[in-house]
Amino acid sequence: MRLLMTASQIRGLPVVTVQGGEDVAEVRDVIYSPEAGRLVGVTLNKRGFLAGRSREVLPAEAIHAVGQHAVMVLDESSLAAPEDAPDDVAHPAMERNVLGDDVLTEGGASLGKVADLVLLVGSSGEVVGYQIDKAGGGRGYIPLPAQLSVSGVALVVPNITEEFVQDDLVGLGAAVDEFRARLGLP
Amino acid sequence: MSESFQRSAGRKVMSRSSAKELGAVSHLLVDAQQRQIAAVVIGRGKKAQLVEWAQLSGFGPDAVMVVDEGALRPPADDRERAAAEGRLELVGKRALSERGNELGKLDDVTFDADTGALEDLLIGDRRVHAGSLLGSGSYAAVLDESQEPSP
Repeated sequence: MRLLMTASQIRGLPVVTVQGGEDVAEVRDVIYSPEAGRLVGVTLNKRGFLAGRSREVLPAEAIHAVGQHAVMVLDESSLAAPEDAPDDVAHPAMERNVLGDDVLTEGGASLGKVADLVLLVGSSGEVVGYQIDKAGGGRGYIPLPAQLSVSGVALVVPNITEEFVQDDLVGLGAAVDEFRARLGLP
Repeated sequence: MSESFQRSAGRKVMSRSSAKELGAVSHLLVDAQQRQIAAVVIGRGKKAQLVEWAQLSGFGPDAVMVVDEGALRPPADDRERAAAEGRLELVGKRALSERGNELGKLDDVTFDADTGALEDLLIGDRRVHAGSLLGSGSYAAVLDESQEPSP
């Protein structure tokens, strides 16, 4: 059983230092690498009266943990100016966006379109599934790592993914390990 | 002897050398890494002053005794100013695990009145050893992941 959350639940969370107990920023958006199956970082808003976009970004390596109520970093030095951040964090490529992509099985069945990312709570940004708008209507959740290829238009997943489409995050949390075991993944 | 933040709030502060009353305890400033009370804040707002733990001759049940009134000083840095404004007060602060999950609200903190060493953090009906405290600031007190509720 794993505790999961969607990327849209992360937006707006405070970024809090472990050592200082201070809220140093707020998550504006997540930057995702579909190839790596994980976040590469997050963009930030300022906290409090100075609210608005922050120049600084938070690379995934500097994330201590993504939780349900906060994104934790060790200290304020974890926030990086764009010129000091890895290029894929400072200048995220637009084709990285998988939202709206068609999810196709290897057999050629469409499971739906990607609506959101699903992350492992407590990790540093591991993406373990997608929330999809099901081809037949309604919301569904599919586990990862599953995609074989991704183009910016569609992503291809193993046929068994179809058996693992879940109705909610709790169901997906329970299904992730079995799904990975079936595929022989760690 | 064990003391608590809740019980000691408002306790009078006296000078050992002059026997004069110097004010009342408003906040206790904590060094989270050392799990130790660093200083006692006396009074509030612009008039708030600090006395370091080492300058106390006793943290008693009826009064906090300061060696000499000369030991009182105004806040010297941002952290001390934040403490003087009450923004670092541990009691009432949200407790956050280092995994980013809220654990509840800090209802009280106990400490050894002889040494100023923190003992336990009281979060709802849970009593957590102060060794789990990783950091504390204006937003939260951060506890290590051993305090994470199992899913």
